[in-house]
Amino acid sequence: MTASPIRAVPARGALGRSRPRYGEHAVRVVLVLAALVSVGTTVGIVASLIPTTVAFFGQVSWQEFLFTAEWTPLFADPHYGVLPLVSATLITTVIALAVAIPLGLGAAVYLSEYAAPRTRRVVKPVLEVLAGIPTVVYGFFALSFLTPLLQDYWPGGGGPQIFNALSAGLVMGVMIVPTVASLSEDAMSAVPGALREGSYALGSSTRQTATRVVVPAAFSGIVAAIVLAVSRAVGETMIVAIASGQRPSLTWNPLEGMQTMTGFIASAGTGDLPVGSLSYQTIFAVGALLFAITLVMNLLSARLVRRFREVYE
Amino acid sequence: MTSTSAHREAPARPGAQESPVSVGRPAAARDREIPDLVHPVFETISLSVSYGDYMAVRDVDLKIGERQITALIGPSGCGKSTVLRALNRMNDLIPGAHVHGRVSYHGQDLYASHIDPIEVRRRIGMVFQKPNPFPKSIYDNVAYGPRVHGRTAGLDETVERALTRAALWDEVKDKLRQNALSLSGGQQQRLCIARTIAVYPEVILMDEPCSALDPIATLRIEDLMHDLAREFTIVIVTHNMQQAARVSDRTAFFTAEVDEQGVRHGRLVEYDRTTTIFGKPTDKRTEDYITGRFG
Repeated sequence: MTASPIRAVPARGALGRSRPRYGEHAVRVVLVLAALVSVGTTVGIVASLIPTTVAFFGQVSWQEFLFTAEWTPLFADPHYGVLPLVSATLITTVIALAVAIPLGLGAAVYLSEYAAPRTRRVVKPVLEVLAGIPTVVYGFFALSFLTPLLQDYWPGGGGPQIFNALSAGLVMGVMIVPTVASLSEDAMSAVPGALREGSYALGSSTRQTATRVVVPAAFSGIVAAIVLAVSRAVGETMIVAIASGQRPSLTWNPLEGMQTMTGFIASAGTGDLPVGSLSYQTIFAVGALLFAITLVMNLLSARLVRRFREVYE
Repeated sequence: MTSTSAHREAPARPGAQESPVSVGRPAAARDREIPDLVHPVFETISLSVSYGDYMAVRDVDLKIGERQITALIGPSGCGKSTVLRALNRMNDLIPGAHVHGRVSYHGQDLYASHIDPIEVRRRIGMVFQKPNPFPKSIYDNVAYGPRVHGRTAGLDETVERALTRAALWDEVKDKLRQNALSLSGGQQQRLCIARTIAVYPEVILMDEPCSALDPIATLRIEDLMHDLAREFTIVIVTHNMQQAARVSDRTAFFTAEVDEQGVRHGRLVEYDRTTTIFGKPTDKRTEDYITGRFG
């Protein structure tokens, strides 16, 4: 090798690793493990649901389970029609969303578009405290405060029963307001200021800018927030177990008591059911259905989010 | 409205046709008479703008002529963008920003308590440094302003006319429903101009509209500005002196000054016809900047 006057490339070996980076490797392993824990848990839950659920359907036909409306699995003459539980979950969830979506989005638009930075710094954490209240507290609040209140002030007498889906749904809605508000506000704040300026420079008001530019641009984030809220409402247990009662009944009247899927699991899974019995397997079947519903919803939302995504930049 | 493309092909722009204007030479910016500022569109009287305790720009006296192109030039931090944003109350949107002194628009004090900033911005549009089309279709971008102002009758014609006026119609007429973000940077900026025109403002403020664009896209925007100046009053902030020389009728030179406490403030140094500023500036600082002897 003749020495050239200018050596563009340093000698070989200079670029080699001088010493092994054990730390780097260890960090990587820890991080991978952390990620695997959540994946592993999900897989474990599904794996534990499947065999028991399969055993359940060995004894009860899926047609009876999904399409009949009498749910008395723990009675001497058992029936396994899950529809009353599904309808109860549906009704409480719809009521909760009717509260949480307008309030949550309203709060998010206010915080992101109207509030002064100082106000936002104070209000947002306070709002998030709502999410930290134990759900059992919400449940008793619904049962011992909201229900009597509704009964007292119900126009024209009548009014809700002691256990009813309405109070449970309303309080559940309040519970998930912070979820909707906080995540939607994050999505709206992430919309570039340049888009807002563009809108204001065309002579739009704050309201027009919020509804025509910011909300559409943040739409996928808002959908994600609402879906998470739905998942929380569907999976919420304590509030409905306490406030909407334990009696499965197929009704669309939210003033009556009803038992949701989660309510059933909580009340039946008390530990005195013999493992392997049909009653025991019932819990898993309902759990599997709940899981399936949530899964379908998440897949649906993933599609929605992609479809409505407005990419800025 | 086919005059746009015709104008683009016509070799009627002495400034831009040549290689970049050599610095310090009198630039024959535009072939037209520049009238005196008898009835200015804007008049600022000791305009100062502060952000919190910091005074960004101080004591600016400026008159902006109708259907002229006025360029605000100067080094970074000289307050030229701040002054521009004071003209349509965009500074209102920045928390802590405060305007002192007077900005009058056809004799009306823009900062008087009864003035509605939304109405101000409807008359005085703005185009920004980085193209900022909404993540919507090309059509919806242009239709945004008219829709916001409830002028939806004849919307299709309004959109077509604005796009034609912004020299973009031929390129997008077959894909009006496509997302605006699929356009190139230069096209996006012309779309933003079209969006502004669709509101029929009187004034268009441009804040370094070409600084994110390549030279060809820049020339197209400059062409467009000449064309638009027949109808609109244009104020442009630029840090490109050649651009100021090529496009503007009048040029205001700003600089950043350090006061006794060591705080920097923007100041207006000299304001005159562009040919004068680039030909025989009276202030030494202007001359230094124009000839490149200053940062």
